[in-house]
Amino acid sequence: MPRPGAVIEVDRNTPPVLFHYGEGIRLEKLPLGARIVYPPDPLEPITHPERAIKRALAKPLEDDPLKSLLRRGMKLTIAFDDLSLPLPPMAAPDVRQLVMEEVIDMAAEAGIDDLHIIAALGLHRRMTNDELRHIVGDRIFSTFHPDRLYQHDGEDPDNNVYIGKTSAGEEVTLNRRAAESDLVIYVNLTLVPMDGGHKSMSTGLASYRGIRAHHNVKTLLGSRSYMNPPDSALHHSCIRQGQLIEDTVRVFHIETTVNNHAFPAIANFMQKRETDWTPQDQAMFLATKQMTDIAPPAFKRNVFHAMRAPYGLTAVNAGQVDAVHDKTLDAVNKQIAVQVEGQTDIVTIGVPYLGPYNVNSPMNPVLVVCMGAGYLFNFYRKQPVLRKGGVLILTHPTRYEFDAVQHPSYIDFYDEVLADTKDPAEIEKKYELRFAEDPWFRQLYRKSHAYHGAHPFYAWYWAAHAMEHAGDIIIVGGDRDVVHRLGFKAATTLEDALEMAEQTVGRYPSVTHLRTPPIMLCEVE
Amino acid sequence: MRVRRAWHWNTPRPHSWPEQGAVVPAPPSDLGWARVEPVRSIRYLIQRALLLPFTEAMVHPKVEGREWVRELERPVIFAANHSSHADTSLILHALTDAARERTVVAAAADYWFKRPFLGNVVSLFLNTFPFSRTGGAQAQLHSSSQLLKSGWNLVLFPEGSRSADGRIQEFKPGVGFLAKETGTPVVPMHIRGAFQVMPRHQKLPLPGPIRVRIGKPMTPAKNEGTREFTARVETAVRELSAEQRKPELQGTWIERWRASKPRDLRYES
Repeated sequence: MPRPGAVIEVDRNTPPVLFHYGEGIRLEKLPLGARIVYPPDPLEPITHPERAIKRALAKPLEDDPLKSLLRRGMKLTIAFDDLSLPLPPMAAPDVRQLVMEEVIDMAAEAGIDDLHIIAALGLHRRMTNDELRHIVGDRIFSTFHPDRLYQHDGEDPDNNVYIGKTSAGEEVTLNRRAAESDLVIYVNLTLVPMDGGHKSMSTGLASYRGIRAHHNVKTLLGSRSYMNPPDSALHHSCIRQGQLIEDTVRVFHIETTVNNHAFPAIANFMQKRETDWTPQDQAMFLATKQMTDIAPPAFKRNVFHAMRAPYGLTAVNAGQVDAVHDKTLDAVNKQIAVQVEGQTDIVTIGVPYLGPYNVNSPMNPVLVVCMGAGYLFNFYRKQPVLRKGGVLILTHPTRYEFDAVQHPSYIDFYDEVLADTKDPAEIEKKYELRFAEDPWFRQLYRKSHAYHGAHPFYAWYWAAHAMEHAGDIIIVGGDRDVVHRLGFKAATTLEDALEMAEQTVGRYPSVTHLRTPPIMLCEVE
Repeated sequence: MRVRRAWHWNTPRPHSWPEQGAVVPAPPSDLGWARVEPVRSIRYLIQRALLLPFTEAMVHPKVEGREWVRELERPVIFAANHSSHADTSLILHALTDAARERTVVAAAADYWFKRPFLGNVVSLFLNTFPFSRTGGAQAQLHSSSQLLKSGWNLVLFPEGSRSADGRIQEFKPGVGFLAKETGTPVVPMHIRGAFQVMPRHQKLPLPGPIRVRIGKPMTPAKNEGTREFTARVETAVRELSAEQRKPELQGTWIERWRASKPRDLRYES
């Protein structure tokens, strides 16, 4: 029986705690009385994933068995999530591959000639062929690529259709092939509660016009948090859009969840609590620490990004979107939820080397904000772990480092927009449309492997709630100039950061450290 | 030239006569030693350790249609266009391990086996056997058909020699003859980019993009003549060079999906 998550109070016997520090790690001593929140241990995975998938397809939730929906002569489209999930990328075979192979077997049996498979990447970057092959597997890739397996292009004027407006006035667009299909089967992998459900189709297969309806400052400030769909304006908007999509096209949803076994055996110490470290774990920690201290960033990045997570499938559900997503959220919460009592003055988080938008590239400063103050801060239900006006302390080297291929618009965003203002609302009003409609960014998004021109704005809005909520945000170990450009404070050591934080929250503050990754969701009473 | 009087066919050639030219077929040796153990194991190691990694590192070939050679039920003839010495390595790289281990390559007898040492070394690396591309080749075709009948796949370049300009030349009817005589299916293959990587008269390969496309196996019809079948194979190879996939040549997705089905399902207890 895997252990649930835990909140440990630091006493004299508590060992130093692990902090992720970009492509590096640190052990830090927390003040006595501070709390450390640990994620639950990985749940036992399903022993026979293929049987579970077959069962889910044969007995879907509030829908007919998939086999009965497939008929010769129909136009069938399979859409699947891109490489932004799971993190780190899953060791082969990816669960999306297993699900799609079952679905394609059924389609072949039914004799469906017109089958297309689309990577639903929304405004994310196009994947390389090797990345695509890793997700779908060799067999699907060699059979369908490139004419029947391709990636969604949200800027293709011919292949996106406008569907209509929701009751709240949100515009809805959809990939033309999906909109004209007799059946769309969406294969999703839900790692965190934010993903899946109606958000899959309404974001993954939409254009900028549809996505900007909910990826904006107002909606994200109204999401407390966007990791908790019932309290998330973002998800309410996606549900409205999704319902309109369901009126247009028949959707069969398949959602999978995995446990939080995020690190391979070689980095197992990152997965474990420090008190559980064996001599091998301690040796691996020392070796990794030495390596990351002296190795050049590019080398470290290659080592870290080569890691593949041995995730295990914990649930697979198929059928009607809402019914499926409810079950999926239950399964995800079972894996990542931790009960935490009360808020604190200071929250510390180690920002790891990887976020959803920097797979196989460095985490640029804007993405550090997105990851630390956006995603990691928002992993809560009911209320944030940090009290209003408290101090959020992140650890990350935060260098001026951008991938010119994947993040061209981020460079301009950092150099031009952040030099002018840090206020998300002002940024949205003044700059977003110009970047979104920039013909060069559009070209790079469509033909190269670049994120959409509007994407750095979304990364920034993601952190809007934390910026509004926190009295101060301090980045430990960050490049001073870069951190100041982001509008935060830089500290050399954690002790200094705690000292600086006391100026905001007063003497003897309460401190909580979120020991993540692996991912956890704090249920704060 | 007038034949001297009193000269007989079984006497040595007169010194004043010219050297034997390329048109004279090589001595009939099918290099059987190269297809028995332990040479096969040595070749397997050489290919896995040297040839395939080198090919991968140099040109990173993109292979389409590998499912058609994944699990061949019977020997086949691989018929490909020929524009470079790199073609053989590329074809072997494109095949699955199981198919590669049972594949012999027809090498021009008058080119590769003119110097026996070279011929034997190449045979050790690539499992070649001498194949005459000149007249009077019935015996050679016979030895090829013997190889097919004994379970070996055969790589054949029906153009006869490397293309001088990278374009596909007319196919010689040997491939049709072999297929008809032995009832063997022919797998059309097209290699794109090999001419740029290593054209004629170039000693070392250069890096460059390569695509190897494998078509659906073709079987000669009952009433189809050798030359008609050869023409059909030639058309197939030419059409494989087109950018768009051709379901009639490469199979519909359902056929390719079924062909690529793994023998053992994972996760089955």
